[in-house]
Amino acid sequence: MRPLPDWLTDNRDTASLAAMLAPDSSSSLEALAAESKAITLRRFGRTMTLYAPLYLSNYCSSGCAYCGFASDRKTPRHRLEPDDIRRELAAMKKLGISDILLLTGERTAAADFNYLQRSVEIAAQEMQRVSVEAFPMSVNEYHELAGCGCTGITIYQETYNRERYEALHRWGPKKDFIDRLETPARALEGGIKSVGLGVLLGLSDPVEDALNLYRHLRHLGRTYWRAGMSVSFPRMRPQTGGYEPPFPVDDRLLARMIFAFRIALPDTELVLSTRESAAYRDGMTGLGITRMSIESRTTVGGYDDPENKEKGQFEIFDDRTAKEFCLALRKKNIEPVFKNWEPAYNGPSDGNASTVHPEKAEPCH
Amino acid sequence: MDVLQLGSYTFSSRLILGTGKFSNATIMLQAVRASGAQLVTVALRRFNREQAEDDLFGPLSAIEGITLMPNTSGASTAAEAIRAAHIARELSGSPFIKVEIHPNPQHLMPDPIETYEASRILAKEGFLVMPYITADPVLAKRLEEVGCVSVMPLGSAIGSGQGVATAAMIDIIIRESGIPVIVDAGLRSPSEAAHAMEMGCGAVLVNSAVAAAGNPPEMAEAFAEAVAAGRKAFKAGLMQKSGSAIATSPLTAFLGANG
Repeated sequence: MRPLPDWLTDNRDTASLAAMLAPDSSSSLEALAAESKAITLRRFGRTMTLYAPLYLSNYCSSGCAYCGFASDRKTPRHRLEPDDIRRELAAMKKLGISDILLLTGERTAAADFNYLQRSVEIAAQEMQRVSVEAFPMSVNEYHELAGCGCTGITIYQETYNRERYEALHRWGPKKDFIDRLETPARALEGGIKSVGLGVLLGLSDPVEDALNLYRHLRHLGRTYWRAGMSVSFPRMRPQTGGYEPPFPVDDRLLARMIFAFRIALPDTELVLSTRESAAYRDGMTGLGITRMSIESRTTVGGYDDPENKEKGQFEIFDDRTAKEFCLALRKKNIEPVFKNWEPAYNGPSDGNASTVHPEKAEPCH
Repeated sequence: MDVLQLGSYTFSSRLILGTGKFSNATIMLQAVRASGAQLVTVALRRFNREQAEDDLFGPLSAIEGITLMPNTSGASTAAEAIRAAHIARELSGSPFIKVEIHPNPQHLMPDPIETYEASRILAKEGFLVMPYITADPVLAKRLEEVGCVSVMPLGSAIGSGQGVATAAMIDIIIRESGIPVIVDAGLRSPSEAAHAMEMGCGAVLVNSAVAAAGNPPEMAEAFAEAVAAGRKAFKAGLMQKSGSAIATSPLTAFLGANG
């Protein structure tokens, strides 16, 4: 068994985050909220960047005990073909969406690297910013994906507790804890510009997981100094398979985590998805979160066919339309930002590239 | 007339406004008008040709008396910034480009090497280049040599509100510079802007301090007044600072004793 990396026990700068997260912490939630709000306003202003997920495929080779798309679930499987993707993108664009997250399950023959790469190419022609949440890849594969217009990779460790991780991931390639841990580094090594990390809240001790997540971010930040980073706070939602989370995280603890991360990482993008209720998302607006998903569907596709009654990977909680959601943001004096990226900045991050190569071919036309 | 000269362009206002971070376009436009700014910067990544409601460029271009200076915020290399500058010029028609290259999207510190390279090439291509830089006097001179129309050293980190923390270095840059020096980033209060102007800055650029204020248009106006006051003070000539009281029996009185 491969040993744990040193950074997972690096306590250099975890003390203040640990103090804020401790169950008997002396920092009041209200005080943390006020500090988090002030930092967010200074650094990000009165704005919220918006994105939407598009599930390309629900084929999967892994046996994650908590997932509605695990390979032993009887869910019907399919994938979007290029024309389906174009139709979905057109429907998403009508909603104003220009920042998109493409999702697949673990690597399968039906949804492999070539399929994903082709899908990224199509999406990059239509959307301003394309990120991917799929299976772990090699450095070369990430480099190719960046060349096709993928700027960000989201990859959650789910839990940093190795024992629990190995028990929950019953079979398949995702069972390898260390390989998963090394994936964000491979993405950055391959020239992906930003990585999104997170733990699936409910699977294991949330405070222990949060501290390890922080160590992971700091380690990546020191190693890949150009890396953009974001942190998500996904809480377990009811899903096909009916898994009951053994460590449920309540609203107050989730809020404490968001505020503490904002204070510990003032410049990092913090993400809250439609897994959370409208009331909770509205309440969090302006207090620390800077990026939210809208109009989410967790079925394969689903934007072009609103009548799709199929079950998704998990249940959406905040099902407001983009219009309704933006109205709520504006009521809180926050501007919804649909485009906060420019495709001119696409392409693999080349490290110390101080020379300009105008003759270099544009990637993937 | 006391004007800010940038290339062949002149501006009577010495306050430049940033346009991100506002709660909506209406407030942003009110702030721009209240500031009296004639030069306004907008990030290319916030140009949205497909959705008018999300676009910052459209409403700004409709205001009369404003020159737009697109910026390359989001670029992490010289090549990306150059691509962005070309697109921005095509879309906006403005000859100005604020070269902003921060390879680390966390702390947004400008990369001196990439910034130098992009500025050199863009200036050669005829852009009026305004590079956002760390407060480095040597880099400032190098950028002047390659034809930039100003340099924009940071007062402190973007959005930090720490004021002109780099004052000692900015002082050297101003003393040595043949082009206007514009403090960009870090200002929190109008008094800090006045201070920068008293030091001899050609202008200041403010965004967060106005956008994050309780009343952005009023704060914009306050900054405009502070910038004007600071400039006036600089022109009038500040009295010399003295570290200690002048002794009534001077130490050098003996020098006159025998002629």
